[in-house]
Amino acid sequence: MVGIPILIIVLIVIYPTIWMFYHAFHDTDMMGLFRRDWQGVGFQNFETVLTSERFQNSLWHLAIYLTFGACLQVVLGTALALILYEAVKTGWVRVLLLIIMVLPMMLPPSITGILWRFLLQASNGAVNHILLSVGILEGTERIDWFSVDLSLWSLVIADTWQWTALPLLIVFSGRVSLPPAVYEAAKVDGASSWQVLRRLTLPMLREIIAIAFILRFMDAYKFVDKVYVMTSGGPAQSSELPVYIAFQTGIREFQVGLAAGYAIIIFAGAAIIITLFLKYLKRVMRNVGVVD
Amino acid sequence: MTTNAMATGQSNYRIIRYIVLAFLVIWLVFTLFPLYFAIITALKPVDEINRMVPTFWPETFRFDNFAGIFADPGSLKSLIDSIIIASANTALSLVLGTLAGYALARYLRGALGENLAFFILSQRMFPPVAILIPIFFLFDETPWGTDSYITLVLLYLVFNLPLATWLMMVFFRDAPKELEEAAYLDGYTPFRAFFKVTLPLVVPGMISVAMLCWIFAWNEYLFANLLTGTTVKTFPVHIPTFVAGSQTLWNFVMAFSLVAMLPPVLLFIVLRRYMVRGLSLGVVKG
Amino acid sequence: MAGLVLDEICKGWDFPVLDRLSLTVEEGEFFVIVGPSGIGKTTLLRCIAGLERLDAGRVIIGGQDVTAVKPYRRGVAMTFESYALYPHLTVFENIASPLRARRQPKEDIARQVESVAKLLKIDHLLDRRPHEVSGGQKQRTALGRTLVAKPEIFLLDEPISHLDAKIRHELRRQFHTLEDLRRVATLYVTHDYAEALSLGDRIGVMGEGGLVQIGSPREVFEKPADLFAARVLGQPSINEFSAEVEGSDGALSISVENGAIRFPISGPPASVLGDHSDRGISVGMRPQHLSVVRDGASSANGHPTVEGTVDVHEALGATGVLIATVGEQPLTVITSPEDHYASGEPVKIALEPENFLYFDRQSGRNLMLGQS
Repeated sequence: MVGIPILIIVLIVIYPTIWMFYHAFHDTDMMGLFRRDWQGVGFQNFETVLTSERFQNSLWHLAIYLTFGACLQVVLGTALALILYEAVKTGWVRVLLLIIMVLPMMLPPSITGILWRFLLQASNGAVNHILLSVGILEGTERIDWFSVDLSLWSLVIADTWQWTALPLLIVFSGRVSLPPAVYEAAKVDGASSWQVLRRLTLPMLREIIAIAFILRFMDAYKFVDKVYVMTSGGPAQSSELPVYIAFQTGIREFQVGLAAGYAIIIFAGAAIIITLFLKYLKRVMRNVGVVD
Repeated sequence: MTTNAMATGQSNYRIIRYIVLAFLVIWLVFTLFPLYFAIITALKPVDEINRMVPTFWPETFRFDNFAGIFADPGSLKSLIDSIIIASANTALSLVLGTLAGYALARYLRGALGENLAFFILSQRMFPPVAILIPIFFLFDETPWGTDSYITLVLLYLVFNLPLATWLMMVFFRDAPKELEEAAYLDGYTPFRAFFKVTLPLVVPGMISVAMLCWIFAWNEYLFANLLTGTTVKTFPVHIPTFVAGSQTLWNFVMAFSLVAMLPPVLLFIVLRRYMVRGLSLGVVKG
Repeated sequence: MAGLVLDEICKGWDFPVLDRLSLTVEEGEFFVIVGPSGIGKTTLLRCIAGLERLDAGRVIIGGQDVTAVKPYRRGVAMTFESYALYPHLTVFENIASPLRARRQPKEDIARQVESVAKLLKIDHLLDRRPHEVSGGQKQRTALGRTLVAKPEIFLLDEPISHLDAKIRHELRRQFHTLEDLRRVATLYVTHDYAEALSLGDRIGVMGEGGLVQIGSPREVFEKPADLFAARVLGQPSINEFSAEVEGSDGALSISVENGAIRFPISGPPASVLGDHSDRGISVGMRPQHLSVVRDGASSANGHPTVEGTVDVHEALGATGVLIATVGEQPLTVITSPEDHYASGEPVKIALEPENFLYFDRQSGRNLMLGQS
């Protein structure tokens, strides 16, 4: 019974992976691919990738993106979830607010990208005009959200808007499931709110927060859809992420061999991160009884 | 502690409380504003949208924008295409994931099964870009080509099947094996026991899996854009066609987007209690 | 029609749980297996039901070898310790399950389920789901599910252990009166010795690897085959000490734990134990064979006595349980509930050596068996 699904995964995951490995060591381009004509070039593709400034810059972008796109979202989501739990005790209000805050996560990322591109337009975008009306901008001053300096940050804003919901929802549900008796005991002991947060809530939610973080981190690592929709990596490659470059090189610039080189390096990075996470994930899964 | 210090502690506590509440309110505004603006944009005429100063309440309401988007027959077709692909993929993911999840939960409980389960889960995490290009050529050589329903239905299995398999495994492990054994002793064959006893127990899990798979397939853009676009066109691929010359028809884009947002949003609101378990890989019991 | 024969069955994982276990349960017999938790009682039932594959041996039901027969064709019904009720079905549907599995007509099913439900006094609950009924009602539902199946063999795994005392008593009475159970072979597993003694036509004491002793409840209680069987049956549990036989033919005495307790023996035990003066023995004293001698009397009805101090005394309604220390050894004694003892109070305890059990220290074997 596992056979068929495994077979499908092998077909559409393993086969392409092997294909990528093969072409990463060849000078394949699109025409060559159709004519079945390519030459082995050893590690040249990898060398090109690793030494290119474009790739090095994209790594820097990725670091920023992972910090703010994943880590910050988990921190924000956790904070919001706990605030929502503590501040709102009325059942239906809680549900309503939770639905509102989780809503962006349900939206197609492409639409989210389009929406934020629209909101962040320089001349007549809603965001700039709000900043005007509250006095942060004056006269003809406008923030060019899609400039070299800011386009990456625009992506981060749109992504935070959409994905803070994930850790928020997970942590909130985790908080709801914590045993009330522990909190009553803490109250009897006279613990302050801060102590309760530090010594009870956060330790008990640690594994759940970790799951949220792993999920967000891996999704952020392979993040590419909004880049494509909002900035196309520009201007001047200022918002390019490694995954986007691989995509661009292979599909738009037809350098299949080089793109494979990118893909393999990204793949290796993912493999390392996943291996690290998987160890922890296994432990968490054992603790909660999902696996033996 | 003196009364004075107590008072300071009290007022400090108050201030923190207000700051925290303010943060919640600001976040709600931050969350809602883009949605609000999308809605009012969908109701504005084009010339009002293109003004140098945007209006935050439409001066004229154009409800016919929603009718306008369907003037292009491609709009409706793209939504239908999306529904077909998302539903077919969900059905396939669910059936295969249920079988594989059951096998993993019941028959492969050793180290081998566990490693297999985590391998399947890790497939969910790998960046799809690594397989994008070969997939293109792989499907290009099939008789139906890249631009077809089959392509996307099968392709989305790459994302949805590992998730479905993993989650169904988790749900089956939650369903006590003893119930199945009781069914054997009642005289049910394993096959009948599976459908009479085991499957009904994991229905909530299946709802969760189906919902996540469907929303993912519905929302996917990158592969759909790359591989399809002529005979088959899902709605995200259709959105960029709302242009007049070099000008984007934002009212239509937003109106169409709102329509396209509706299915996942409604699914979430109606079935949200099934959601958390699936979203957290089965760890958080919502 | 259908007796159950187990022929040298073996089952183990990292270690053997059942080691060449043989047992015959006659048609109409109510056989109770009693043993400590985790000894493999449930495994034994699962092997009979076919839920576990045997490593070796044969299971024979009604003269037919069913070792290779799948559980759903064995005609065996079993209640699980956890009840294993289908949570998504009503009580009615749960009970009807075996009949539906055989695709019987709807009216037949309804009639049979209702009559079983009436018998078990759960006919007013048929529309509820398992989570809406109490523990005792769950157990009745599980029992109903097995009764309605009219199996050849009943397997009951700790059916009343997790219920509260009152319902336990009621269900125990019901087991005595259920005609259906009395017609076929029933194997009933429990860790509670009182259940075993009360219900069993015969009982089997299960130890590591298999059955240590099989016999009528009286037999097993009064003449346990070994120290283990003596330990399993009886509450409060038996006092056991290592001891030596001292003296010679005419005047034998037993010295317990290097002389902490010493008493003379005569009669049947003396004749057997005389041969063991060179080897160590174990003495088992059931608490009911010890009694407290109240002030003044130097000996109670000619019984030897020992002196000790009171540790704890629990008044339990019908009886009292006194734990005293005699020469550094703890001793459990049954007392009258009206009596009161303070901790640290000196106390004199009368012994009934003729009722004590004497075991070989190495093998644990009961030395009195085959003798008296």
